[in-house]
Amino acid sequence: MSIVLDQVTKHYGGAPVVNDVSLDIGDGEFFVLLGPSGSGKSTLLRAIAGLSGIDHGRISLHGRDVTHVAARRRGVGLVFQNYALFRHMTVAENIEFALRVRRMRARARRQRREELLRLVSLEGLDERLPAQLSGGQQQRVAVARALAHKPEVLLLDEPFGALDAKIREELRGTIRQVQRELGITTVLVTHDQEEAFAMADRIGVMNLGRLLERGAPHELYSRPATRFVATFLGAANLILARRTADGIQIGATIVAPTERASNGRENEVVAVVRPEEIEVAATREALRCGFLARGVVESVMFTGALERLRLSLAGGPHTPLLTLGEGAAGAALQVTRTQYEQRLFEVQPGQSVAIGVRRIHVLPTPLSSFTACAPTVQEAEELSRQPLLVELAARMATRIATRCEPQLGQPGVPCQGTDSFVGTTVIAANPQSAARADWLLRCGARDLLVLPEAARAPQRVLIHWIGEAARSATLAVSASVLRHVAAEAVYVGVFPEPQGGAQPRGMRELLDARSEAQAAHGLEMRTELHFGDAEQQLTRRLAESPAQMLIIGVEHPAQFTERFRALLVSGRWPVLIVHRGPA
Amino acid sequence: MALLPSSAFADHATRPGQHTWVHAIVRWCFIAVSLAFLAAVLLAPLATVFVMALSKGILTYLHSFADPDTAAAIRLTLLTASVVVPINTVFGLAAAWAIAKFEFRGKSILITLIDLPLAVSPVIAGMVFVLLFGLQGWFGAWLQQHHYSIVFALPGIMLATMFVTFPYVARELIPLMEQLGNDEEEAAITLGAGGWMTFFRVTLPKVRWGLVYGMVLCNARAMGEFGAVSVVSGHIRGLTNTMPLHIEILYNEYNFVGAFAVSSLLTLLAALTLVVKTLVERTGYRRRR
Amino acid sequence: MSFRQPSNLPGFGLTFGFTTVFLSTIVLLPLAALVVTATSLHWSDFWHTVLSARALGSYRLSFGASLLAASINLVFGFIIAWTLVRYEFPGRKLIDALIDMPFALPTAVSGIALTTVFAQNGWIGRYLEPLGIKVAYTWLGVTLALTLISMPFAVRAVQPALLEVQRDLEDAAETLGAGRLYAFRRIILPAIAPALLTGFTLAFARAVGEYGSVIFISGNLPMKTEITPLLIVIHLEQFDYGGAAALGLVMLVISFVMLLTINLLQAWGRRDQVRAAR
Repeated sequence: MSIVLDQVTKHYGGAPVVNDVSLDIGDGEFFVLLGPSGSGKSTLLRAIAGLSGIDHGRISLHGRDVTHVAARRRGVGLVFQNYALFRHMTVAENIEFALRVRRMRARARRQRREELLRLVSLEGLDERLPAQLSGGQQQRVAVARALAHKPEVLLLDEPFGALDAKIREELRGTIRQVQRELGITTVLVTHDQEEAFAMADRIGVMNLGRLLERGAPHELYSRPATRFVATFLGAANLILARRTADGIQIGATIVAPTERASNGRENEVVAVVRPEEIEVAATREALRCGFLARGVVESVMFTGALERLRLSLAGGPHTPLLTLGEGAAGAALQVTRTQYEQRLFEVQPGQSVAIGVRRIHVLPTPLSSFTACAPTVQEAEELSRQPLLVELAARMATRIATRCEPQLGQPGVPCQGTDSFVGTTVIAANPQSAARADWLLRCGARDLLVLPEAARAPQRVLIHWIGEAARSATLAVSASVLRHVAAEAVYVGVFPEPQGGAQPRGMRELLDARSEAQAAHGLEMRTELHFGDAEQQLTRRLAESPAQMLIIGVEHPAQFTERFRALLVSGRWPVLIVHRGPA
Repeated sequence: MALLPSSAFADHATRPGQHTWVHAIVRWCFIAVSLAFLAAVLLAPLATVFVMALSKGILTYLHSFADPDTAAAIRLTLLTASVVVPINTVFGLAAAWAIAKFEFRGKSILITLIDLPLAVSPVIAGMVFVLLFGLQGWFGAWLQQHHYSIVFALPGIMLATMFVTFPYVARELIPLMEQLGNDEEEAAITLGAGGWMTFFRVTLPKVRWGLVYGMVLCNARAMGEFGAVSVVSGHIRGLTNTMPLHIEILYNEYNFVGAFAVSSLLTLLAALTLVVKTLVERTGYRRRR
Repeated sequence: MSFRQPSNLPGFGLTFGFTTVFLSTIVLLPLAALVVTATSLHWSDFWHTVLSARALGSYRLSFGASLLAASINLVFGFIIAWTLVRYEFPGRKLIDALIDMPFALPTAVSGIALTTVFAQNGWIGRYLEPLGIKVAYTWLGVTLALTLISMPFAVRAVQPALLEVQRDLEDAAETLGAGRLYAFRRIILPAIAPALLTGFTLAFARAVGEYGSVIFISGNLPMKTEITPLLIVIHLEQFDYGGAAALGLVMLVISFVMLLTINLLQAWGRRDQVRAAR
C-alpha cells in the first residue's frame, strides 16, 4: 500500500478539523479527496505532505512511518492551488530547484528538466519567467517542478481552482496522462465532483473532517451509503419512505416490492431517486416503469442537451419529498430528461402527469426524520425550533414534525395516538424527562433524543450501550449522527469492577466494537475502558466539558430510565437513546 | 502597516521534524536585536525628552510655557500650521483629483514634482525662498521698495513650510483614489450630479480617512519643520521663531528644561499622529505603495 | 495623441490648472531661482566653491555618514521588519506603530534628545565613554542621528515585501527538499531584494539632506563634523548667495538622481508580478 492513513486527527481550536481518517491508497492509484470547503481535505493533504502536524494517528508512505518526519524528507511532490512558483526564477530554475538542493550536476539537471518539460508539453519555455506564462502553463510548470526529484507520491491541492473551464479540462487530461505514464501514486483534492469523476480511480468523500465514503466513482454515484454523498455527487431527490412487509412504500404506493422489512416491523427510510431515473407520462398505463404518484409540472427549463423539469407531487405539506435547503414551499421533484424523451412526450407547466421511477436506492441510514413531542402543541412547536435540532435537521436534509401527546409521561396511561412513532422522537430535557422517556420507549419509540434547551453542537460524542442487542443499531445511529457534526467519537466501555482475582474484562469487547463500527458502519471511533457503574462513569466523563453528547443503546427501557434518571433530567447534555429490544 | 495575524505561521510550529530549539534561538535573537536597536535609537531619545522636561519638577515644566518668547513661538507655529495645512489640503485634493481621475501626458512628471520636496534637503527648501525674496534675491529690491517682507518674516516661514509639507496630503490621496476607481463618480454624473456635488457627496466620504491621516501628518511635519524655516526666518526671537527654532535657542542657552518642555509638546503631537494613523488603519483603509 | 484622453468626469481644467499653478509658484519658480543663481557664477567661482576643501570635507561627512547610516538601516531594518512580520511577542503592535515615530517627530527634537542620550554623561554615552567610544560631537554621532531619522524608510520598504512573499513559496521549497536556511537564501532573499535596495536608497536620500537632527550632535567643526547643508547655511549667512546656490545645486542634482533610482528600483521590483489583466 502506497499511502496508509491510520486514524489521522487534527484539532484546531478544540474542534477536530480532520477527524479519525483512515485510508489505504494503492500503488499507482489516482485517488481524489472530494468535499465541500471546510471539510478538512486540504488539511489532510498538507498533513500527508508534512506541512502540518497531526494530533493523533499515523501516516505511512510506501511502508515507511513518516508521521514525525519533516516534509522535505518524505519524498512527496506538492502542487499548490496558486502554483507557488518562484517568481524571480525562470521556468528552468524552478523545475531544477529540487535537483539543485540535492546537488545534482548541471548536465544531469538539464537532462531531467528537458525530460519533464516534454512530459508536460512545455518544451522551449525554459528561460521564461512565470509572469510571462499563462495560468495553465504556470500550473504545468508547477507539476513539472513537483516531479523533478522523482517523489513517490504526488499531491495536488485544488490545482485547477484558478483557471478557466477550458484550460481546466485540458490540464485534467495532461495530469492524468502524466500520472499514467509515470505510474505515480497521486492524491488530488477538489470540491468539484465533475473533476473527481473525470480523473479518479477511487474517490473519498469528506465532510466535517470525516471520510464518509470511499469507492469507485460509479459505485458512489449509484449506491451511496449516506445522504451527504448522495446529494453531493449529483442532483438527487430524497424521499421519505417506509419499509413495510410488502416493500418500500412511498405515500400510498409500493415502489420496490423486493426490498421488504426483515423483521415485520415498519420503519422509516430515506430513498434516493436520481433525476434521470424518473419518467413522466400522461397516464399510469403509459409509463414503462413502476408508478410513483401523480404530479403537476411546475417548471420546464431547456438546457441544451437536457431538459429539466420540476414537479410537485400531490399531497401538499404531507408530501414525502425532502427539501434540500430551500423552504418548505419549494419541495419539488427534479427530473432530467433527454431531448429524445422530450420529443416522445412534451410537457407544459401546469400539466398533470403520471410519474414513474426506474431505479430507487434506499439509503441504509437509520435516522430519517425528527418528531418533536410534547404535552401541548405550543411546547412541541417551541421544541421544534431549538437551534441544535434545526441545525441537525438542516444538515441531514430532513424535516422536523411536531406531535402533541397530552398524556405524555403519565405513568400507566397507554399512548393514544394511532400512528406508531417513526423516525427520531425529540423531547425537551426537564424534570419530567425520565418519566416521558420511559413512556415513549414503552409506546414503541425506537430512537429518542432528550434535548436540553441550551444545547450546542457537540465537539465530542460518547457512545455506550447496555445489552448486546442494541449494539449494532447504536453504532449505526452514531455513525449517522457523526457524519453531520464535526465531533470526536468515543466509545466508552464500562464494565463491573473485577472481583477478587478475576481478570479485568473489556479489551476484547472494545476491539470488537471498534472493528464493527469501522467495517459495518464506516465509523471511526476511539475507545475507552472504565470500571464501575455505567451511569457514574458516563456522567463523570460528560462533566469534563459542556460541548458533548451521549448516544446510548438500551434493550430494556425500564432499567434504563431508572438508573439514568439523573442524567436525563439534568439538562446539561443531549442524550440520544437507541432502543432495540432483544429480537 | 499591516501585520499578519499570528495564526498565519502557526502551521510551522506543528510541523514534524523541525528543530524547534534552533528556531527558538533564532527567534529570540531577532527579537532581542530588534528591541535593543530600537531602544537605543528610538526609545531612549523619546524617553529622554520627557525625563529631561520633568527633571526639575512639574511646576518648572509648566512654568517654561509661560515665558513670553516660548508662548510667542507656540503661537507662531500654530498660526503657520493653520494657514499651511488647509492650503496643502486643497492642493492635495486638487492634485489627487487631476491625477487619479484623468489620463494625460506628463502625468509622471507631475507626480515626480510632487515627490520632489521629500527628496530635497530642507535647507535647500528654505534657501530657494531666500534666493527669491531675500534682499539680494530676484524680488528683493521690489519687496523692499514696497515695504513687504517675506524672508525673515511670517510669509517666508509659511512659504518654506508649504514647500516642505505639501506632498503629504497628495501622497496619501493619490494612490487611495486610484485604488478606489472612478465608478462611483461616473455613476453620480450619469444620475445628474454636477462636479462639486459629486466631489463633496461621493468622493470626499470615500477618502475621508486617508484625508484625515494626510492632514494630521502634514500638520505634524509643518509644526515640526526645522531646517527650511531655520534658513528663512532670521531667528528673531518673539517674532519669527517657531517652536523648533525656539527649542534650538533654548538648548544652546543650556536651558534644558525649557528646550525639552517645548520638545515634549511636539513629541506628544507626533504620538497623536501615530495614534490617528493606527485608528485610520484599523478602519480598514490600506494604502498601497 | 492628444494631451489627455477624454473622460466624462468634470473638473480637469480646474484641478489641473490649480495644481500646475501651485507647483509652479511653490516649486518650479524657487528651483529655477536656485539653478539660475548657481549658474550665474563664473565657472571658476562655481568649481572653486563646490570643490573647496571645506566643501569636500562636508561631502565626505554627509555622504559617508549617510551611506553608513543607510547600510546600518539595511541590516537592522531587515531584522526589525522580519521580526514584526513573522514573530509574535508582547508589544508587537506598539512597536510596529512606533516605527513611524521618526517620521512624525520634528528633527530638532530628535537632535537634542539623541545628543543628550549619547553625551558623555548620557544614559548610553556613559557606558561607551570608558570604552573610548565618543558619540556626541563626532562623525559617529552624525551617523547615529542619520540612522534614526532614516530608519522608518528602511523598515517600511521591506515590510510589505516580506508580507507579500507567499507562504506557499516556503511550503513549496520545503516539499522540494530545501531546508529553512536554503529556502531563505534562494527564495526569500531574492524576492525581497528590490525592496531592500529601495529601502536603502530611500534611507540614503533622506539622510543626505538631513539638517535639524544632525547639527546638535555633530559639533559642526569644519572639515571634521560639518555637513553640507550646514555649509550652505553658512554661505547664506555670509550673503554668498552664489556659493550657497552652487552647493545647493550639487545637492539638488544628487536628489534628482536618487529619485530616479528609487523609481527605477520600484519598477524593477514590480517586474515579476503576475500579470494583472486576466
